[in-house]
Amino acid sequence: MNQAMTQRQENQNLAKSEKSKTKSKIWSYIPIYAITLIVMLPFLWMILLSFKSNSEILTSPFSLPTNLSLENYRSAIATLDLLLMYKNTIIIAVITVVVVIIITFMSSFALSRMVFKSGKLKGGLYYFLLLGLAIPPFILLFPIYRITIMFDLMNTHASLILPYIATSISFNTLLFMGFLKGFPKELEEAAIIDGCNLFTLCKSVVLPIIIPVIATIFIFNILYVWNEFPFAVTLISSDSLTTVPLGISEFKGRWNIDYGGIIAATVLVMIPQLIFYGFFQKYIIAGMTAGAVKG
Amino acid sequence: MHWLSKKRYICFMLLPTLLVYSAYIILPIIIASYYSLTRFSGIGEPEFIGLKNYQALLQDPFFWVSLKNTVIVLGVTLIVLIPSAFFLALLLNRDVKGSNVLKALNFAPAVIAPILVGLIWVFILDPDMGFVNVFLQKIGLEQLAFQWIGGTTLTPYSVGVVESWRILGFIATIFLAGLATIPREIYEASDIDGANRVQKLIFITIPMLNETFKINVILIITFCFKIFETVLQLTNGGPNHLSEVLVTYMYNVTFISGEYGYGMAVAVVTLLITIVFMALFMGLSRKRVEKKGV
Repeated sequence: MNQAMTQRQENQNLAKSEKSKTKSKIWSYIPIYAITLIVMLPFLWMILLSFKSNSEILTSPFSLPTNLSLENYRSAIATLDLLLMYKNTIIIAVITVVVVIIITFMSSFALSRMVFKSGKLKGGLYYFLLLGLAIPPFILLFPIYRITIMFDLMNTHASLILPYIATSISFNTLLFMGFLKGFPKELEEAAIIDGCNLFTLCKSVVLPIIIPVIATIFIFNILYVWNEFPFAVTLISSDSLTTVPLGISEFKGRWNIDYGGIIAATVLVMIPQLIFYGFFQKYIIAGMTAGAVKG
Repeated sequence: MHWLSKKRYICFMLLPTLLVYSAYIILPIIIASYYSLTRFSGIGEPEFIGLKNYQALLQDPFFWVSLKNTVIVLGVTLIVLIPSAFFLALLLNRDVKGSNVLKALNFAPAVIAPILVGLIWVFILDPDMGFVNVFLQKIGLEQLAFQWIGGTTLTPYSVGVVESWRILGFIATIFLAGLATIPREIYEASDIDGANRVQKLIFITIPMLNETFKINVILIITFCFKIFETVLQLTNGGPNHLSEVLVTYMYNVTFISGEYGYGMAVAVVTLLITIVFMALFMGLSRKRVEKKGV
């Protein structure tokens, strides 16, 4: 009897706390959805405006578009050479990322695994390579512009690929070293005893293990090159080499007061980025926070 | 590993990275420092003039305007972002349905190209057709419809708001990572002591996140000193350099006016100012910790 009473009481308490839980849940839902909505607002605003005619944009921006006009998109696609922008950006991004991953893997492997005569030199080189994290790219713009002229690389893909590789080295070193240091060496030592040479060791033993960190670095590097503007505007002046960010910087000038055209063009380059992000957001968030916290 | 650690192997593995890094990071810094001591207009040989560029910098009103604007951007961003990102992290840290999706959505602005961010915000802040002023007029608050960009005073504040929007989700994610490191036992112990939610926040969560707050302040400082595309899109530094920040001013002096030597002096000083800001902040926060220790 007594037991049943306490049981009932307990149930009642449980129900009560359950009730207060749903109540507090509602209270945590409202602000978080409100904040997210505010953060999303600029994107939604652009998408809404992109379906409106210029006069609608100026006179009744808030109403839903009367007829889903694709006129702005037609104007954007006709004016922009989207294909060229994407082609150049993809060429530069792919070459940069493949090269920088290979060379920073090699140097990180040497610094984390190989035996140096002087330990000081090894540590010194590691911190030397991390220095780049503290250097803002803006101080490099003009000197690299001079170096590019000196190497006779102006208006080539290589003029951007080289600085993009250089500015990615520090971040990649940080992530590769962090991952390799935390990984046991026994497997590699066994492989060496079995007569593995340096190349097969890296390719067949180490590479499969570090795939997850390579994925993070790969996506992070791609994103950096895809978004990079200061180097591109400094080193590229030929229209045939224009990249996506360079193209975006010209939207305002191209359409002047044809707002619809600018907005549709903006949405056209914004959507692929958001889709890419949607697919890889896990790696992107991991890469950005790891770089920040460890740096 | 000894067998494979012959000198030529090590050199082979390190060489490509060291080569590119030295040629494109280290050498440029030396070049920049050298040019900052010269007068150079792009033609002929740079003429060595010692510290004259730096002296001219101190007399240059536009330099001081850009410095002031940069500090305003930093101030606004810190004031807006630290509380709001912390609040967002606290909300995301609870068991909300779909919190992963919400996290990803809030993070999205940090991922798209900064040049695109600037362009999007033109249509939010434009005094005539931007979202903010149109909205204010619609709800009858015309008197609040200021000239957010392009005027003489408000642009740097607006830039601070844009930057806050851009990195809100990113900073909140760092806070989230910090929140995950606080052991549950501490909260359970405080439950037994009868602490309420606010007390837990003030006496447990915030002190335990001391390190995370510091990381975020440093991140915000580095982000703010790198703002370039936003200003370029919103006003391009105008009217008459009034909305310039240090980085855009350096860019305009160097590449638009073609005063390469002077531009590099601005670049070097900007780098030094960034370092000073970080050192100041780290010194301050260390002192506070020491005082607490006593």
